[in-house]
Amino acid sequence: MKTVKILGSGCANCRKLEAVAREAATSAGIDAEFVKVTDMKAIMAYDLISTPGLVIEEKLVSSGRIPTQAEILQWMQA
Amino acid sequence: MDTVLHLINGGAGNLAAYLAAHVLLCLLPAFFIAGAMTALIPKASVTRWLGRNTPYRVSYPAAAAAGSLLAVCSCTIVPLFAGIYKKGAGLGPAITFLFFAPAGNVLALAYTGSILGPEFAFARFVLCLLFGIGIGLLMALLFWRDDASHDAATDTLFAEKGRVGPAATGVLLALVAVLIAGTLKVWPLTATVATATLPLPWAEGWQATLFRLVPFDAARGEEGVSVQGSLLIGLLFLIGLAAWKGLENIVEGANRWTWVALALVAATLLLAALRLTAGQAGLEVSITGRTLAVGIALGAVWHQARRLEGETWRAWLWESWRFVQQIFGLLIVGVFVVGIVRQLVQPEWIQALAGRNDLLANVVAVAFGVFMYFPTLVEVPVAHMFLDLGMHRGPLLAYLMADPELSLQSILMVAAVIGRPKTFTYVALVALFSVVAGLLYGAWVDGVHPGWIAAGLLAFMGALAAMLSWMLGRRTAPARA
Repeated sequence: MKTVKILGSGCANCRKLEAVAREAATSAGIDAEFVKVTDMKAIMAYDLISTPGLVIEEKLVSSGRIPTQAEILQWMQA
Repeated sequence: MDTVLHLINGGAGNLAAYLAAHVLLCLLPAFFIAGAMTALIPKASVTRWLGRNTPYRVSYPAAAAAGSLLAVCSCTIVPLFAGIYKKGAGLGPAITFLFFAPAGNVLALAYTGSILGPEFAFARFVLCLLFGIGIGLLMALLFWRDDASHDAATDTLFAEKGRVGPAATGVLLALVAVLIAGTLKVWPLTATVATATLPLPWAEGWQATLFRLVPFDAARGEEGVSVQGSLLIGLLFLIGLAAWKGLENIVEGANRWTWVALALVAATLLLAALRLTAGQAGLEVSITGRTLAVGIALGAVWHQARRLEGETWRAWLWESWRFVQQIFGLLIVGVFVVGIVRQLVQPEWIQALAGRNDLLANVVAVAFGVFMYFPTLVEVPVAHMFLDLGMHRGPLLAYLMADPELSLQSILMVAAVIGRPKTFTYVALVALFSVVAGLLYGAWVDGVHPGWIAAGLLAFMGALAAMLSWMLGRRTAPARA
């Protein structure tokens, strides 16, 4: 069970990122729990200067862009 | 019933005027530039100058540059603002960044220039830059204790370095060339190179139908829909359809619709750069210097974009499309509503309130800006409406400075990051500076001698400095006792 956090205050890119990440997890059959973090203080606890941010198992793997499904899979399986 | 029809016509007429060729030539490239800035400029290339230990003379201009280059949407504005404040250069540069971002980004500048005139865009840019840095410095002085408490925090966030690659630079420059070639109203661009008449007998009748469908009042500065305008609106619709299929999942790869959408965008820009006149003989098509210049610049964009890596150009197209989705729809609704409201507002009201450049007019304009919230860019058609209704350009600038900076939504957002006392100070300073900016620009428009304007600016700065030293004196006095 992986914990995946989507950091962002509900902008278009955050929704897109969540959709891509969910699809990646489903297609590879990975059991993942998705958490949306919208509170600015909680977001700023991670080192990022642009949302959306993607956090997998408490590690910030990408920010300010939407990674491809393949990239996300790599991070999830790492 | 007649009134309702009249109002809807007002909205449709306004919308048509805003989708005219000269606006599209500015907006379409501006969306692609905004996307390119988000996707192609590594944020670290600017943020490396915003760290804790950067000297003031570097961090303030860097904060303004970040506002102008990196922050086209709130996805970056809020986190970067909080980051600079808590982990980087501190409160002052964070405020400069926050203030400058809504006025200094490419979409706002290009749109202001095309609707309200380039000199107005220039005044907005320069005054926002000067006052953004001024307000930042003031906040840093007023709350210097607060910054000291953050010094213990790490600034690894700003340690990373980045560079804009040569291909990305090429794409950005070529896109700016498209924007300039499409909008500048100077000689080689406006000259007619060749003219041909297409034997399309329906053109004149179609033009008459369009004028009947969307009635307009030339005396009030309304434009109506031309044949060219109707073709462009049709093309925009097609772009929307193709982009929906071709750009929605662009991150995973391009498909056939992607190329259709891009070809349609190029066709729209070229068509908008032509001059079309419907007459008895048919449709007269003139190729102008602008058509050639836009064509060459588009070729340059294509040539440069081919040098980008696959992932990079897909990210660029995605960001551009996202901006269109996020801003364009709301802009269209906003323009339509503004057209309706305009029919209801009597010019006398506006002229009585803000027809002159005095203190009251500027204060009213700023107050309106604070209490009204408009989606991104919609403040520009609103300002255009006020200008048409007889508002003086001074208060108009005051409104344009205050509105995007201060709305209830943004005030709450800022308060969540820096706390209430600082937010109230910031709001008060922005209101004060906006009023002063309006008065100064208004005086310049009225033809007041630049010496007097400089003297007024100096007097304002002097009064501010005196007030500041008095406040700081009061605050430190009990500590000494």
